[in-house]
This record gives sequence, structure tokens and C-alpha cells, in this order.
Amino acid sequence: MHISEGVLSGEVLISCWAGTCAGLALGLKKTDTKKIVRVAFLSSVFFLASLVNIRIGASSTHLSFLAPMGLILGPVVFPAVFTALLLQGVLFHFGGVLVLGANTFTMAFSALMTYIIFGRAIRESKKIFQAMTFAFIAGAFAVILSASLVGALLGLTDKNFLTAVKILLAAHVPLALIEGAVTSFLISWLKKNSPEFLC
Amino acid sequence: MVEKKFAGISLLIIFIYALVISLSENIFFLLACAVLPVLLFFWKKPEGLGALKKINLVNLFMIVTLALTWPNFWEGLIRGLIIAFRVNMVYIVFAALILPQGAAGIYKGLKFLKAPEKIIILILLTMRGIYILNERLDSALISARLRAPGLKGLAKFKVFAYITASILLQGSEKSERVMTAITCRGGFEGFNVEA
Repeated sequence: MHISEGVLSGEVLISCWAGTCAGLALGLKKTDTKKIVRVAFLSSVFFLASLVNIRIGASSTHLSFLAPMGLILGPVVFPAVFTALLLQGVLFHFGGVLVLGANTFTMAFSALMTYIIFGRAIRESKKIFQAMTFAFIAGAFAVILSASLVGALLGLTDKNFLTAVKILLAAHVPLALIEGAVTSFLISWLKKNSPEFLC
Repeated sequence: MVEKKFAGISLLIIFIYALVISLSENIFFLLACAVLPVLLFFWKKPEGLGALKKINLVNLFMIVTLALTWPNFWEGLIRGLIIAFRVNMVYIVFAALILPQGAAGIYKGLKFLKAPEKIIILILLTMRGIYILNERLDSALISARLRAPGLKGLAKFKVFAYITASILLQGSEKSERVMTAITCRGGFEGFNVEA
């Protein structure tokens, strides 16, 4: 989920930019110029897929693809998320320049943690079902972690936000289950057809 | 060069403005901060303000949530209104300075601000990737819808995930061909980020 401009305090925003800059530096250091083309094309696929509206009952939502991004791009996820959010701001007039640091940090950090925790387990799973189970947990984990980070940033800005944060977290549970299912199917397809894809 | 300078300075202005407006909740301070967006609104007459409707709908939801969840209803309401005010002000500055330049303005601005070359190339190529792969994803989704109209539940997510995975593979193959083309044209030294 995105935080809009004007919600977070100056201190939180600056700290998030520091975290994002560190992540960007790490990501860019790990990418050589030749790899950049691949990262750009893969992040554009995630960007496009996350724009597709999925109907759930009466409402509709769009997926974030945080876990697949982390599992496929690995440490390069920070530059990829940064670029995607920047373009989202310019092309769809949503988001801001200052809050970009906080949004990149919450999303990319969750994706990176998913890669660190589940990457190896999924890569080394011999059975598809095992990989799918790990991928389901990874998909749900990434969404819950990013929502929790958003909640933590709001809590750091003002403790009175915490009641609203609890509602926000509860609203993310169904989304986490859907993300888990999609991640699990996506990983199973890649495991069967192109296992070298997983970072 | 003038465009690059304008884009860079616009990025800096919006960054600093958003930071300054986030620093205080004093009503008089916030009203003083509104001078810049008001001036820009009448001077530049920004066109992208249609999105403000959608943004304010979200703001309305946020104000109601804060008013109901805050320990004191009125304090929550005021907090929500302050946030909504900030969002609108920052968005008007954004619409007046950044949006007319489009994505080109962003990478020209980043180049002026001496951002790493890799990130500028990444933004440029992601833009191109979006335009190229959008067609493929769209046609795959349409054909899936035609093959199985009214798909529901887990099967729908499965189809969507499989389509995304196959487009990822296509994107990766396309990126290899693009890399070969870039190498044939002299590598990234000949990559014109000004174009």
C-alpha cells in the first residue's frame, strides 16, 4: 500500500530516504550495466501486472507482486521498486516525490526480506508442492510485512494513528492470501519451465 | 541544457516544499505554505488536476477513519483535514512543475542532479519495456478471457499468475535482444539519455 504525501513527519521521511538510498546503493552495486536491461524489462512486467484490476466480490483490487519481485530480482529489488513507483507517480499522477523514499523503503525492504528468508528454500525445493507452499507463505509474508512497516511509520509519526493501523492491517489479510496464491502459482510455473529464473 | 536545468530545479523545489510543509501543523504556517501552489495554479494553469478528485475521495475516507479512531473526535478530524490540505498543496506543485515534463523530465532532472547513470538508464529502459510488454500482456489477458469467460476463484488467480510468468520469460528474452542491440551500437557510451 502507498502512503500519500503529507501524512508522515519530516523526521520519518528523511530516515526512510536514508534507508532507500542505502538499498539503492546496494542494489546498483550488485548490478553490472549488462544486467540492467534485464532488471528493467522484468520490473516493467511487474509494473504492468500490478496494474491489472482483479475483482473480488463487489470490490476490486490490484496485486503488488512484492514476493515474486524479491524472489526473482534479489538484492536489485530496491532500484526496480524505486523506478516503478517513480513512473507510477508520473504516468498515473499518484504518489509524490518526497514520500517516494518511504514507499520504496516499505515495499522494497519487504521484498528483500522475503528473498533473504524464503529465496534459498524455494530455489532448493525438489518437489513443486514444497516450493508452492513456501511461495504461498512468502507472498503473504511480503504483504503483511509491508503493511506492518507502513503501520510502524505511521506509529512513529503519531501514536494516535495506531487504532487506524490495526484496521489497515486487518484489511490486508485477504489481500495477503490472494498474493500468496498468485505467488505460489507463479513460482510453480517458473520452477517447471524456467528454474534458472529464481535468483 | 535549459530543459535539464528546469527539470532538476523543479524536482528540488517539490522535494523541499513537501519537506517544509510536513514540518509543522501550525495553521498559519500551512497557510503561508499555500502561497506557492496558489501562485503556480494561476501562473502555470496545470492540466493534470483531474486526479485531485480521486485523491480527495481517498482523503475523505482517511478523514472519516482518523476522526473515528482518534481518542478525541475533533482532534482526529483536524488532523485529517491538515493532511488532506497538505496532499492537495503538494499535488498542485507536482502537477504544475513535474507532470507537464512527463517521464522525460524525471530523467533529465535526475541527470542534472547528478544521479547515478545506472538508475537513469534503468528508468529509461523500464519506460520502453512498459510500452513494449503492455501489448503482450493485454493480448494474453484478452485471449484468456475469450477462452474462459467468467473464470472465478482460484482458477482465475492461477491463469493470471501463469500469464504473468510467461510474460516475465518473454521480457527476459526481449531484454537479451535489446542488450545485443545496445552492444552493437557501441554500448552504453552511445546510449543517448537526452533523447
